[in-house]
Amino acid sequence: MTATQAQALDAKMVNAISSSVMEVLSSMANTNVTLKSVNARTDYTPIGDISAIIGIMGESGEGMVGLCFNSPLAKMMVARLLGIEPADLSDDDCCDGIGELVNMISGRSKTALSENTGQPFRMSLPTIIKGKGHEIASRPKNTPYLLMFFDAEGQEFVLQVSFKFSN
Amino acid sequence: MSDTPQILSVDDSAIIRRIVKNTADLLGFGLLEAGNGQEALDVLKANTGNVNLILLDWNMPVMDGPTTLKNLKESADTANIPVMMLTTEGAKSNIIEAIRGGAKQYLTKPFTPEDLSTRILQCVEMDDF
Repeated sequence: MTATQAQALDAKMVNAISSSVMEVLSSMANTNVTLKSVNARTDYTPIGDISAIIGIMGESGEGMVGLCFNSPLAKMMVARLLGIEPADLSDDDCCDGIGELVNMISGRSKTALSENTGQPFRMSLPTIIKGKGHEIASRPKNTPYLLMFFDAEGQEFVLQVSFKFSN
Repeated sequence: MSDTPQILSVDDSAIIRRIVKNTADLLGFGLLEAGNGQEALDVLKANTGNVNLILLDWNMPVMDGPTTLKNLKESADTANIPVMMLTTEGAKSNIIEAIRGGAKQYLTKPFTPEDLSTRILQCVEMDDF
């Protein structure tokens, strides 16, 4: 794969995933989400209270997507998903709800990416990580990664994408 | 036989089953639940003639959606119960496979509560009740 082809796939991946994030959170969690910025950085590690990691595998390579939320935002979205108040949401339900939202983002992204590139992609089931102030540090080594910063009604969350293209 | 029309929600996600229950409550339907296809067949056996619509996920442990659909359509007891796929699998090939397999509707996640209500009502053809 040439550098130009890799960049084009990168852009399609960013578009597919960011569109899926906004569509899923808007329709299922009734939350207005806007993409604030996309940065290729190596000096920032997302820190949050609850995260979801999804593996991406395709003919052109493999990588991961990580979504990192603070606890109040995660609770707000899952409570809206279930039509209840955040105060009535248990920790287990919050984790299950984030897992389901990210599962939908994953499925939607996979469909969009496969249609946009003409290549089949597979995505793993999401792994949920819970713990105050944890960092998402693991990614394929020596692989550049993108950070997408989203605003959800005044609260920020971060999506991290890294993808290692096969030769 | 119950007077209240019943929906069977077949999904390994308890969160999705709760969302379906919210909509079923609003529409005046009762809800039965199963976490995979095998459980769904068991629930149907215990409620023969008492389920008006099945909402079926695609990817589930033990027995997945397409296998469950095949089993439902091969049994005289369940062949006529309308099935709506409710899944994250949105590829055209999946939709065609499900419709050819006998599914009446196909709704991809994410969906709005209005999407779900409309499709449920279309599926069960309210004049039947």
